[in-house]
Amino acid sequence: METAKKILSRVLLLSVLLVGMNYLYKAFFLEKDIQKYSDVINLVRAIPNDADIVYIGESSNITFRSDDLDKRPISAFIADHYPNLKVYDITKPASHAGIYKVLLENIPDSSNVSTVIVTLNLRSFNAQWIHSKLETALQKSLVLLKPNPPLYNRFLLSFKAYDIKSDKERDRQVQREWEKEEFDVPFDFQFSNVEEWDNYVAKEGVNNPDGSRNQELTELACHYIKGYAFQIDTVNNPRIKDFNRIIQLTKERGWNLVFNLLAENTERAKELVGDDLLYFIQGNRELLIGYYTHKGITVVDNVDDVENDLFVDQNWTTEHYAEKGRKTIAGNVADSLKKYYPDHYVDIDYKTFVQTVFFNDCDQRTIWGQMQTITDEEAYSGKSSSKTGKGNDYSITFEYPLKIIPDSLKNEISIHMKVYRNSLSDNGKLVIQAQGEHTDYYWNGFELKEQVRKANSWEDYHYTFSIPDNIKQADLIKIYVYNPSGENVFVDDFHIEFE
Amino acid sequence: MLFNTIDFVLFLPLVIILYYMIPHKYRWIMLLVASYYFYMSWKVEYVFLIVLSTLIDYISGIQMAKLPDKKSRRPWLILSLLTNLGLLFAFKYFNFVGANVNLLFQNFNIFHEVPLMNVLLPVGISFYTFQTLSYSIDVYYGKQKAEKHLGYFALYVSFFPQLVAGPIERFSRLTPQLKEKHNFSYANLANGLRLILYGLFIKMVIADNLSGIVDQVYTAPEKFASSDILTALIFYSFQIYSDFYGYSVIAIGSALIMGIHIMDNFKTPYLAKNISEFWQRWHISLSTWFRDYLYFPLGGNRVAKQRWILNILAVFIISGFWHGANWTFIIWGSLFGVIYLIEYLINKSFSLSKEYKAYSFGHLFLALKTFVLVTLIWVFFRSQSFNEAIDMFALLFNVNRVTEATLVIPLSTWIFLIVFVVSDILLYNTRFDTWIGRFPMLFRWTMYSILIFSIIAFAGVENFPFIYFQF
Repeated sequence: METAKKILSRVLLLSVLLVGMNYLYKAFFLEKDIQKYSDVINLVRAIPNDADIVYIGESSNITFRSDDLDKRPISAFIADHYPNLKVYDITKPASHAGIYKVLLENIPDSSNVSTVIVTLNLRSFNAQWIHSKLETALQKSLVLLKPNPPLYNRFLLSFKAYDIKSDKERDRQVQREWEKEEFDVPFDFQFSNVEEWDNYVAKEGVNNPDGSRNQELTELACHYIKGYAFQIDTVNNPRIKDFNRIIQLTKERGWNLVFNLLAENTERAKELVGDDLLYFIQGNRELLIGYYTHKGITVVDNVDDVENDLFVDQNWTTEHYAEKGRKTIAGNVADSLKKYYPDHYVDIDYKTFVQTVFFNDCDQRTIWGQMQTITDEEAYSGKSSSKTGKGNDYSITFEYPLKIIPDSLKNEISIHMKVYRNSLSDNGKLVIQAQGEHTDYYWNGFELKEQVRKANSWEDYHYTFSIPDNIKQADLIKIYVYNPSGENVFVDDFHIEFE
Repeated sequence: MLFNTIDFVLFLPLVIILYYMIPHKYRWIMLLVASYYFYMSWKVEYVFLIVLSTLIDYISGIQMAKLPDKKSRRPWLILSLLTNLGLLFAFKYFNFVGANVNLLFQNFNIFHEVPLMNVLLPVGISFYTFQTLSYSIDVYYGKQKAEKHLGYFALYVSFFPQLVAGPIERFSRLTPQLKEKHNFSYANLANGLRLILYGLFIKMVIADNLSGIVDQVYTAPEKFASSDILTALIFYSFQIYSDFYGYSVIAIGSALIMGIHIMDNFKTPYLAKNISEFWQRWHISLSTWFRDYLYFPLGGNRVAKQRWILNILAVFIISGFWHGANWTFIIWGSLFGVIYLIEYLINKSFSLSKEYKAYSFGHLFLALKTFVLVTLIWVFFRSQSFNEAIDMFALLFNVNRVTEATLVIPLSTWIFLIVFVVSDILLYNTRFDTWIGRFPMLFRWTMYSILIFSIIAFAGVENFPFIYFQF
């Protein structure tokens, strides 16, 4: 009894101490740890409170093809259809519903968000993605964001209380599923699992028209089999559980929920492997649409809507689309949002629609030229800015085919940006450069120091540039900061508007 | 299951509660099941290796006990040696030997390749095979009675706190304790928890934070300045010490809560005045194993001088090879052997074997000398190859290089390292549980709070397994 009392008193003392430690940790250490281990939260924090729609997804949202004129993400194209609503995105490459759920939970209650569009990637249900080698890092990045006391979350992080596995273990898990998961199809099929099918195709090969083996296509066919030959089990597949938790969360928060079922390269799948593989893709597609529609969720079906030529990666299975593909998907999603925002929808014909407002906050969400200059040394908004100086002469660079903007919309260019100078001795300039086959070469620089007169603080810079007639048909206009000095000049929140 | 994971945080209390709830005569069953579960959490199949080793040594022991003399027992000893060393060879050394034979074949233009195996090294195989071998050898020499209870023998081989990285316990020390009835003791609970707390602190806060810094330099040493390389070498000395010491202390603490006293494995080794003393303070259970089962049978120091020198070198080289199947470990062991002999000769020639008072100038000077030597020798232990180690030395002494990177060391890492060094000095010839137990409650709980907070808030978060698990 004496011992029991002694132990109990120690346990109580420890509990009190832990409560105190929790406050101490929260006050002095939590934010630093979040920035170190869970900086994915900055994607959520970057969403302003007055946002109406949040689009959450992986690399499919932001990946573009180098020849795209408009390199904006799917979410930006959706925003084109709702100019009066504020549409923001949370894009985390290689992520999936398990990650989305934690990120969405971190949207503050005070937020104005009314609709959440969640990427539903068919391949994220397969063994390769579920047991991806990236999973350990992804799961680790979420531990501090869970809705628990901060010190408890840090305890979970320190004691590795998340899905932590070595690459070899992950490979073994994938291999096990490929061997273990038996196909259940209503027709005679010579393979009972992925392993058998993959081995067969690898052995037989995909042939060239002359009958010789095409090794590249054979490997690609095997990738398609590994990527798509699976049947979603709604009871045991962890993704189903994750998406169900998102449904639960959106109900609790009163958000409209749209699942954006991404396009897959079904054309290529058929060409490389055949109808058998399409059977699996279509089966999973129907299952997901039926399953979630039954739960009252809007599911946008894009599976067959993007043709082979519009897939960026031709030698791998991805959901990365060229401009037209991204616009198609955005159009489908925008269409489905009409029921929530009937008065805000604007029909856009991209053949006539021309973008005239451009913005880059240097946080890697919008891709311009010279992205290697992005640094987290200084930032006006978000975490990063573009750094010039000391041999790094050119800032992030806006590039656009000026000739596609109608003359009526390109009399002037209004340029706003934030500038941070380490000293006042640099000679940084805002540069406007235009070139084209049928136009004169144009280059003009405007001294930053005329407006930015303070060192070591973020200052506004604004310049309105009248576009000379002789460059209006230029193939390319470039706008950037040029700083050949040995002093640093940082640029952030680059805003360009053609008027 | 690693000691620094949530799995163990849940597993240990559960085992301890069950241990004290279950009647004494059934405790061995629970501990055996827990130990096998603990081991199987890495790879289920490898438990069969422990079972095989256990059964062979159990049967060998029983058979040897029936026989009157060493000659008649010898076949059973050979069976035990072949089984345990065979397992070790197959899983740990086969690929090393095979790769070297292939290299040799290549040099002599022999077109034959020894096929290499693609197997994972079973965790702790070097530890439990040595532990069970010590039993067989003791029974062979008649120093130990054979154990008739298979369950207790199996538990001796697999007792989870020290199963995968020691301390390597002797049958005569551990098994009687496993058989003895232990009633719950508050003192054991308190001391055990103190040790676990301290062990977690030095593993998770010291070793794991140093690990990231050391890894950066060892991954691309050419990018760093000599001063950074020197820092990394010193940090590695503390990393490996705090990593392995931390593991041992947690193991000792975990067993102590159940009333079982496991031998100390470290006694402030970096305060040793020479290499000989260093090995009396570093990985003590392994040093004494090699002393008793290799050095003494080779004749120890009761042989001619030249033979003794060979004995010393053989023990250190084999000890190096025990650590890993790589030439770097063989060189590492050899260097210790050579320096041991040089120090012996110098001490003898100049009559330097004077006893210094603890912390006297002489003591600290010699300890610093030992630390510098050991730090340099660790380069071979840490490097993946002989060439990598030599490059490290070349870069260390080439101070006029253009470097691309600077080692960034957080202030907290320095603070914790200083705390560790000071605590190690304070714990010279004592143990944390005993040391802290001398202080009043307010001081003790202040220390506990600092340790708990540090473990939770400052632990390295990458997945750094215990270094000695790979052996």
